[in-house]
Amino acid sequence: MATITCNDFQAQFESPENSPRDSSLQAHLRDCPKCRSFVEDLGLIRAAATQMAAAAPEPPERIWVSLRAQLEKEGLIRTGEPKKSWLRELLGGGLSPLPRPVLAGAYLAVLLAVAFGLSGPINSRINRQRWLEGTESSTNRLSADLRPLEGHLPVSDSPVTASLHKNLEIVDNYISLCENSVREEPENELAREYLYDAYEQKADLLAQLNEQ
Amino acid sequence: MSTAQVVSLGFNWKSGLLAPGLLLAASSPLFAHNIEKHFKVEPRSVVTIHNPNGKVVVKAWTRSEVMVIATHTSDKVEVDAEQAGNRVDVTTHQISDSASPEDLRADYQINVPEDAELQIHDDSGEVSVANVMGDMNVETVGAGVDLEDAAGYLTVKTVGGSFQCVRCAGRLEVSSISGSFKLLNLRSYHVHAQTSKGNILFDGEFLPNGIYRLKNYSGVIEVHFSPGDSFDLSATSLKGKVNSQASLTPPAHPQRVYSKFGNAIFGTFNAGHAKVELSSFDGTINVLKRD
Repeated sequence: MATITCNDFQAQFESPENSPRDSSLQAHLRDCPKCRSFVEDLGLIRAAATQMAAAAPEPPERIWVSLRAQLEKEGLIRTGEPKKSWLRELLGGGLSPLPRPVLAGAYLAVLLAVAFGLSGPINSRINRQRWLEGTESSTNRLSADLRPLEGHLPVSDSPVTASLHKNLEIVDNYISLCENSVREEPENELAREYLYDAYEQKADLLAQLNEQ
Repeated sequence: MSTAQVVSLGFNWKSGLLAPGLLLAASSPLFAHNIEKHFKVEPRSVVTIHNPNGKVVVKAWTRSEVMVIATHTSDKVEVDAEQAGNRVDVTTHQISDSASPEDLRADYQINVPEDAELQIHDDSGEVSVANVMGDMNVETVGAGVDLEDAAGYLTVKTVGGSFQCVRCAGRLEVSSISGSFKLLNLRSYHVHAQTSKGNILFDGEFLPNGIYRLKNYSGVIEVHFSPGDSFDLSATSLKGKVNSQASLTPPAHPQRVYSKFGNAIFGTFNAGHAKVELSSFDGTINVLKRD
């Protein structure tokens, strides 16, 4: 079974139940808490939308009989009309002056408004997660590239080497501060810029140390 | 181009041959090794200086000549000054494997034509350049760098050394990890100064169409301005404070505030002819009116 990334999962999630990639989606869902959380949040949206459309319980039979009799007496309805729920009555009768497409459009607009309202915070969280993943992907690569240089640093009494080591500690400290800042605000461009600059300084210092 | 004229000072070999005692005395630190060389050069000559430890003082003069005076006390190093075409190379060589950092020390006094281009590498010690108008690249580790009345394309890089630039013009790019910068009475149209732990003081002119970028991680960035200056200001501290005494016109378009934790100030002072960008990670930025 081919492994898929979180981005692929989220893009394919809406595909039909009989999708040939379904087993890959399930496998990813088992292993990825972030995507499980994403699926749960979408489930909440669906549930909320479904509740909006759910029919209210039918009123007692006697209500309909009484209502029918009254309406027939007033000449507003003809005999033989099928019984309807109050919601269907409202949508088909109370709002009957409005054309059905308009009613359907209004109903859809309400559903979409609820979906958008709930999706805002979810999209924001997904975006932050994506920013964070992108940054971590870059900095993990940088760290991996620099690790071999860190393993063979010269140790010497010379003031120059001592100064380079001391400044390397300063830069490592800034890298740590910047990484925390990026985790707090992944979408903050300036925080990312400071982090990348710090890695560049570290690379420069390591190169100088290895020349000593 | 004429060959170098060498003037050796200090050592008299005949004296050294007289007695072992004199030989022993000659190897003591009290007897410095001095060398003086002169090189005739054409306009826009290039002078490269590579000195691991010591003082490098470069001054401009009106002669079409490069003069190198080198002094070192240890016999574990030797200084070389050679000419290749219009380039003069000055180097301190280590000739013994057992040299300590102090043994590597050599001090230079170098006079160059005003339009000479300089390439200086001095890890520890001090670098001082005055009145040289050619392009310049200076790299040090712990050595401080002091430029006066310099112009051209100036690039300075230190690890921990401080940097001071007085009455400099042209284009300036300086970077450091823990060094502080003082940029005084500048007339540069492009300044890019970045340090991590150090402070930055800018007290110079904001030329029309000039770009001034000052950046640090922590410490203080202090910029002075006069009522007649004209600049667009963008000052952002991700986690620190930003203070400005300039009465700014807010930008026409809303500026993005980078961080919910820090502070930022954006706006135009007078006509906004120059561009001033100040940024700090968690330091303080002060934009202050000159007295």
